[in-house]
Amino acid sequence: MQLQIKTRSGKVVATVHLDAVSTVRELKKAVHESNKRLHPSRQRLTLPLPAGSTAQTKPTVLEDGKTLGDYGLKDGSLLNVKDLGLQIGYSTVFFWEYFGPLVVYPLFYALPHLLYPGVTPPAQRPLVQTLALAYWSFHYSKRIFETFLVHKFGHDTMPIMNLVRNCAYYWGFAAYVSYFNNHPLYTAPPVQQSVVALGLAMLCQLSNLKCHLILSNLRKPGEKGYKIPKGFLFNYITCANYTCEVLGWALFTVAVQAVPAGIFALVGTVQMAQWAIQKHKRLKKVFDGQEGRLKYPRRWIMMPPFF
Amino acid sequence: RRRHTYARPPPTSQVMGNTYLLLYNTALTAAWGYVLYLTYANILENKGDTKGVYQAVELPLKIAQSAAILEVLHAAMGLVRSPVAITAMQVASRLWVLWGLIVPVPGPTTQGALVLGTIMDRYTFRLDLVSLLTAWCISEVIRYSFYAFKEALGYVPYPSLWLRYTGFIVLYPLGVASELTMCYLAWPTISSKGLFSLPMPNRLNLGVDYSIVCLLICASYLPGLPTLYQYMLVQRRKQLGGPVKAKAE
Repeated sequence: MQLQIKTRSGKVVATVHLDAVSTVRELKKAVHESNKRLHPSRQRLTLPLPAGSTAQTKPTVLEDGKTLGDYGLKDGSLLNVKDLGLQIGYSTVFFWEYFGPLVVYPLFYALPHLLYPGVTPPAQRPLVQTLALAYWSFHYSKRIFETFLVHKFGHDTMPIMNLVRNCAYYWGFAAYVSYFNNHPLYTAPPVQQSVVALGLAMLCQLSNLKCHLILSNLRKPGEKGYKIPKGFLFNYITCANYTCEVLGWALFTVAVQAVPAGIFALVGTVQMAQWAIQKHKRLKKVFDGQEGRLKYPRRWIMMPPFF
Repeated sequence: RRRHTYARPPPTSQVMGNTYLLLYNTALTAAWGYVLYLTYANILENKGDTKGVYQAVELPLKIAQSAAILEVLHAAMGLVRSPVAITAMQVASRLWVLWGLIVPVPGPTTQGALVLGTIMDRYTFRLDLVSLLTAWCISEVIRYSFYAFKEALGYVPYPSLWLRYTGFIVLYPLGVASELTMCYLAWPTISSKGLFSLPMPNRLNLGVDYSIVCLLICASYLPGLPTLYQYMLVQRRKQLGGPVKAKAE
């Protein structure tokens, strides 16, 4: 069959020839061949809106795994394409945004004469500065490990601006937190406070890893759609992974007793809370208990006993 | 342009909200108009000398500018359709210039100037408190009267619409340049006196260097400038570029 692909303004950007058993993925490759600018990951293909649709009707997005026949496409059918802009892989973004903190934080620890010019470091470096460095480095190494070996991303790519924005956030905060944690005039809290807090924070990190492993095993290969998370803390909290992360950074702040670390923890918490609310809402909507579907059980969203 | 026609009268809360907004926008149009008048009356009185301008406008300026905080509340309450974050950023930047630069460092900011050039050995083009007040007052009078007309009449008379979408072409760059000049004038004092700064060491392990904060704020102006300007040009084409609308339908 012959298909015409056009933009919302009506311009035809590609004409392709495929049969009904071809997948959407193959369709996107064909479009790319005919239009070099439209890399497959940049294409969002939708069916034209049926007659009688309002401005509110959401068009059907074509999914990679399905075939053309699944969407009832025939010879002469028209499809709409939206250019999502230059895309970059999820793993690539995650790697670079986590690699920055791994490099930036130790700079302030290792180069005080360069980065705090004119300030004399004390005769002995407080123990907590070294412990905090170790904790921070472990945290981001763990994140990179999870990016390549644990997480199963729902999407392949994201817009390239996200790389800039995310790196600015992670690298910027790494510098800000590290600058004050490793300052020559840093005032350390009692060492017992630091050790206990970091010990508990480590427990949170390991729990967070366990949560990520549970989440990544939720779907068997080939399965699609949402599943209800189960086991460990997920029996009580929808976003237990965020719970552990938030508590970990709160404990880190207690360990170093520094406002910049606290600001970093707070901003992260606010962002994770927003994501947690969305995820919780989504799961409750999907698992509404009707037509044979399970009903999503009563659970905390992210932070018992608050919400 | 069609006036509001309702199938049934709007709820009391909406009428109260509209009345309040009408009063607010009218009051601020008057306030900024007054500051503009005071500015130029003072200059004329002193035959072109601008040294006394700040003293003349200080109180009404502080009131009019600080009142803008209410606009953030209006947006947060849903009384107006503006996005809260953008409104908050705009109000914050104005408050920073007034309360964070001019009020703490009145000498250099109200008496100093950044001279751009001289024409015919007579007229100097400069960025200073007067250029700042000119830009602010005219912009605000245009803006608040625009909203007042909307509330009072349900539509905006063409002259007001034209001003709103044309004034920015000169006023926006003039205003931003003047604001950055205020920072330029105040910075040496802020830096040398360590104003609003918290030095290390302290128990919070937090150091705040206000002079660096000021530099960061100035830097943040730069990406916003061309984007906002382009956005307003596009809006101008949309609002003014269409077929000429009769004042009443």
